[in-house]
Amino acid sequence: MRLRERLRELLRSRELLWNLTRKEVKVKYKNSLLGFVWSMVYPMIMLAVYYVAFGVIFQVRSEGMRYFAFYLLAGILPWNFFSTSMLLSVGSVVTNSLLVKKIYFPREVLPISQIGAQAFHFLLQELVFVVFLVIFGVPLSPWILAFPLVMMLQVLLLVGLTLFLSALNVYFRDIQYFTELLLLAWFWMNPIVYPVTFILGRFPEWAQNIYLINPMAHITLLYQYVVYNSPVNAPSAVYISWKGILGVVGGSLVLIYLGYLYFTSQEHRFAEFI
Amino acid sequence: MERKEAFSAGKGDLAVEVKDVSKCFRLYRDVNYNLKEKIINWRKRGYELFWALNDITFDIYRGETLAIIGPNGSGKSTLLRMMTRILRPERGEIRMHGKVAALLDLGAGFHPDLTGRENIYLNASILGFKKREVDRIFDEIVEFSELETFLDNQVKNYSSGMYVRLGFSVAINVNPDILLIDEVLAVGDEAFQAKCLERIRKLQDEGKTIVLVTHATNIAAQLSDRILWLEYGKIRKLGNPWEVAAEYHEAMSLRPLGEEAGSKELEITEVGVFNHDGRPSEEFQTGSPMTIRVRFQAENPVEDPVLSISIHDSQGLLVYGTSTQRRGFSLGTVEGEGCLDFKIPSLMLLDGRYFLTVAARSRDGLVNYHHLDKKYQFDVKSQGKDEGYLGMNCEIVRLRKA
Repeated sequence: MRLRERLRELLRSRELLWNLTRKEVKVKYKNSLLGFVWSMVYPMIMLAVYYVAFGVIFQVRSEGMRYFAFYLLAGILPWNFFSTSMLLSVGSVVTNSLLVKKIYFPREVLPISQIGAQAFHFLLQELVFVVFLVIFGVPLSPWILAFPLVMMLQVLLLVGLTLFLSALNVYFRDIQYFTELLLLAWFWMNPIVYPVTFILGRFPEWAQNIYLINPMAHITLLYQYVVYNSPVNAPSAVYISWKGILGVVGGSLVLIYLGYLYFTSQEHRFAEFI
Repeated sequence: MERKEAFSAGKGDLAVEVKDVSKCFRLYRDVNYNLKEKIINWRKRGYELFWALNDITFDIYRGETLAIIGPNGSGKSTLLRMMTRILRPERGEIRMHGKVAALLDLGAGFHPDLTGRENIYLNASILGFKKREVDRIFDEIVEFSELETFLDNQVKNYSSGMYVRLGFSVAINVNPDILLIDEVLAVGDEAFQAKCLERIRKLQDEGKTIVLVTHATNIAAQLSDRILWLEYGKIRKLGNPWEVAAEYHEAMSLRPLGEEAGSKELEITEVGVFNHDGRPSEEFQTGSPMTIRVRFQAENPVEDPVLSISIHDSQGLLVYGTSTQRRGFSLGTVEGEGCLDFKIPSLMLLDGRYFLTVAARSRDGLVNYHHLDKKYQFDVKSQGKDEGYLGMNCEIVRLRKA
């Protein structure tokens, strides 16, 4: 019951959420010459590094994959969105301690607005990405229209995780550092720089199952499917398991529910603790 | 005055209900911020309980202005922050009826990299107001802040005064039903402060409910309908602003009632304050005469003593003072009883409570015979023709030719 009331309050604060999101976006490149170009630079550098490492040196592309650079980008961009959102929103309550101590508003807008701001950059990147795909004549599929759904799923997962972690971070600042490390390792647990076939079929059953527990792995595969059109451009990188996807949806919803419950139960103590 | 009667009549019309509220803080001996320490110390309770507020119950009526005063650590700000929902009471309940805006820290929601204009919208939405509402009053906010020319500059280039002005302008103009103000009237230059007070009066006229936490008891007494005096997390007194303010001063030893000092070679035996009828009084009109009668006695002859009076306002500021010495009046050698009048034909003080000090000393100032510090008090009321400290004659003449 209380939760429903809270959701109604959050709905009423949607303008605040929007304004804070806009603030994050605006402030990020406020005094820089290149502005939004910077949000392209980071994934491009990542792309260059991984392309040389895995495309040229390790010859991962030999797995019958066309446009390896685009394959990389199809996974790097969502991961980038995921990791920067995580890092910024987990620390968001603590970073905004001044606000939390002085003004009342539903505190969940803090982590959520960070995700919102990152989502904006992500959309921009994806847009440029698709333009490149078209220019280079990469065959696309109508599945690209399902992109918003995949993104929504990723946002659900993000909100669930960060509600929980950002509240916990108020009491234990370790969470922030732990998240950084976790993300470092987590990156390699997704089929981003290598195709998923490097895992499936090559490792014992139990190891594969562990690999497939990772929700981001499924989300990455979905992005590759809808944006990069992996069935055509890289058949070896296709793995869609409905069981897995439903698991991610269900898991994310449960996570959001529990995360929200935890967040709202702790919220009134934030001002005392920070 | 009128307002006061208005809400004592309609008791059903409550803006704020505070019921049996207690708030407890955990005072951590050494905050275990990291997990390792937390695990090592898991068995120890690393904190002590501190009850910042204890069983507080009171109501605030719609349209009322309540000032909360009290020494540092008495729980004033805690109470206010619970009203805004930043903190939650451990026990009891606070109900707010209406839209609340709080001026707890001006410009807390400002981002230095955004412009003044952008910050107005951001700040207002953090306070819970919609863009539509802000659009309507945007010009008013800007005008009030007097920052028109800097509106499109980044706030980080503002001076601290400008920062505060912008913050106050946003919070006070967003049109809440209940306005909570914490100690923010002390900021800004005097002109802006006066403007803020004026705006608060206007809000009062509009029937807004205002809760004000302040150290400046004279502002509290002037602005509020009632004063709530907190001490050690409990209500010490709640009621008439002038009475509570005066009593508070007394307790805070700003006014050590009857504090006496001196060798008493010459003793002041009686002090009377008389009105135009020659009757003792504690209430005066601005412009009316006042006589301060001082009776004294000396058992042994005292050579050429000096008697002095001084009047302090409720904040302890010396408003007026004089002495026999300053006025070239000699008492000669005093032996036995004596009596002296200080006759003020027209009292030039404006509204407020004033405290009278009477003292006797030697001419060279080395011996303090008797000093009665702020032992007597009187109230002054004016007809409202002037404001400030002094009631002066001012003629307004319209000239035919400009």
